[in-house]
Amino acid sequence: MTLAPARPTATPVTARPVRPAATPARGGRRTLFAAVATAVAVLSVVSLFVGVTDVTPAGVLAALTGADDGAAGLSDAGVLLVSRLPRTLAVLLAGSAMAVAGMLMQVLVRNRFVEPSTAGTVESAVLGILVVTIMAPGAPLMGKMGVAAVFALAGTALFLRILRAVPLRSVLVVPLIGLMLGGVISAATTFVAYRLDLLQSLGAWTTGDFSGVLRGRYELLWLTFVLTIVAYLAADRFTVAGMGREVATTLGLGYRGVLNLGLVIVSLVSAVVVVTVGVVPFLGLVVPNVVSRLLGDDVRRTAPWVALLGAGLVLVCDLIGRVVRYPYEVPVGVVVGVVGSVLFLYLLLRRDARVA
Amino acid sequence: MTSQRHPRARRAGLALTLVSAFALTACAGDAQDVEPAADAAVTAQEAPSEVTVTHAQGETTVPVNPETVLTFDLATLDTLSELGVEVDGLPKSNLPGHLAEFDTDDVLDIGTLFEPDYEAVNAAEPDLIIVAGRSAEALPELEKIAPTIDLSNDWADFRGSVEANAEILGQVFDKEDEVAELVADLDADIEAAREVTAEAGTGLIVMTAGGEVTAYGPGSRFGFLHDELGMTPAIEDVEAATHGEAVSFEFLAEANPDWLVVIDRDAAVGESGAAAEQVLDNELVAGTTAWSQDQVVYVDSVDWYIVNGGLGTLSRMVDEISTALAG
Repeated sequence: MTLAPARPTATPVTARPVRPAATPARGGRRTLFAAVATAVAVLSVVSLFVGVTDVTPAGVLAALTGADDGAAGLSDAGVLLVSRLPRTLAVLLAGSAMAVAGMLMQVLVRNRFVEPSTAGTVESAVLGILVVTIMAPGAPLMGKMGVAAVFALAGTALFLRILRAVPLRSVLVVPLIGLMLGGVISAATTFVAYRLDLLQSLGAWTTGDFSGVLRGRYELLWLTFVLTIVAYLAADRFTVAGMGREVATTLGLGYRGVLNLGLVIVSLVSAVVVVTVGVVPFLGLVVPNVVSRLLGDDVRRTAPWVALLGAGLVLVCDLIGRVVRYPYEVPVGVVVGVVGSVLFLYLLLRRDARVA
Repeated sequence: MTSQRHPRARRAGLALTLVSAFALTACAGDAQDVEPAADAAVTAQEAPSEVTVTHAQGETTVPVNPETVLTFDLATLDTLSELGVEVDGLPKSNLPGHLAEFDTDDVLDIGTLFEPDYEAVNAAEPDLIIVAGRSAEALPELEKIAPTIDLSNDWADFRGSVEANAEILGQVFDKEDEVAELVADLDADIEAAREVTAEAGTGLIVMTAGGEVTAYGPGSRFGFLHDELGMTPAIEDVEAATHGEAVSFEFLAEANPDWLVVIDRDAAVGESGAAAEQVLDNELVAGTTAWSQDQVVYVDSVDWYIVNGGLGTLSRMVDEISTALAG
């Protein structure tokens, strides 16, 4: 049960170099990937036509060809451009980035139960936003994000620091340390917010919610797309780093550098997502675990899957949130929390679970 | 490290540990445990007389014209200030501008709107404590120190409860005539406002916070705009929106109200006054009648959201609406 990266013999959780894939051979997997990708694409199109305003493909066509008035002066095509497309893109970007960030975190810390929100990263980012809000309420979005990212980085570094100081590391102790660290940080955040009567604003920031997404209000999320691509390009390095410091160093990898790159990606992604839509819990935990079970731990091979399934899961949850209380909305953070915890429990309780 | 080594029960245990740890981090705050005040029997020597009032949490007998009065409720403070009654202690950290006169050294700071500082309350040896809404849960503990009444507002009958609470205060402080006068003034203001709203078309109440928007309907905490002032609700499905519902900007565009009444929660609790306008200023809201006709009313969020009740505040809220709509 103990897991210590310093002793590679201890068979760390993710250290099975490349876990043999449980699924069919390469060809079959490609087909499956294509199928899932198609499903997500279809859902994305569905998402474009779900909302309070009645937007239909026919209406969009009519608006494009002739003049057709939609809601409050906006044509169907207008609503699509201003509201639906940005929202769908935001969901896909945030979902894939958070899932990939979770995967990176798991590989780097070598523990399957770690993700940005179980390692103090997200909590630190929230603390950063609170600090900016108090010190410079009028700061532009980029400024807020910058500060949140710096806090997220510091929080994650602190997590790793504490981790190094803990002699006994069972699989569950690592995320528990992260949870506790996150708890301490959010306790501090809550205290300050309470003192300054910002508790409810804090609630609004931290519950992941896409209802405010419009053209001009989500573009920051494209940054996560860039970061996801960087993660993919450096995938092989992450895989090697995931084998532990000794192995990585022996193989000629600049372990520190790769670790830092991973942390910067994870922290930036967390900061951007928290600033623009709020916290989406469990995602970084559930998706990489499912994918790893199916495909093993080769980051290059699993990254596209993690990104795709992360995007798909958030998309489904956002659709549910939009539909169940129509025309009102249930925040996606709540839906993902419910769906995610069920999936997570299932993962943990499954008989052949390979997570521990 | 392989799964076979672990019995299933243990795995379940581990799972539960982890999941409950998740749950725990989401929880915050626990019950304040406080020693019951020992000397609750502050010798009620020759109080002129007593009056029994019926409030939100039952009946309580309180002295008439109590000497030391503590209130955790800003709406009560607002009414008392209208009546010219002095208050000896209140949560000073949240005082809105128009009640700043109470922020003096003579007035004790007795905690926050939500959480009493029991030591300070006990030390003040109060004759009457008033709680409401945010502090209503503290009543059982406070009752051990001194007679405590709960003047919470009833959202379903907001105006009625504001007036009823004022009448209770009138009885307790022997100012029933003054209260009757103020209530009559308020009634007249409301009648006048009803005439304005009758002509104004539909309205929708929204609150903005942290970039997100919630909508409120009749019967909600801000519903007196519809219920009492008679503004036609812009949304049909009023049932669902009584507690404030998260909505998208498409919802605002579809509801297309003639008037948009905006409560900026971020402004109520901090600075940044233009926050609500920034949130609403987008292509979807721009298409609504309210926005294009410049009929968006940013109401005083401290009055609406923080104090929310009290004779003085309510009459200012009514004035605010009639002035804006008539303007």
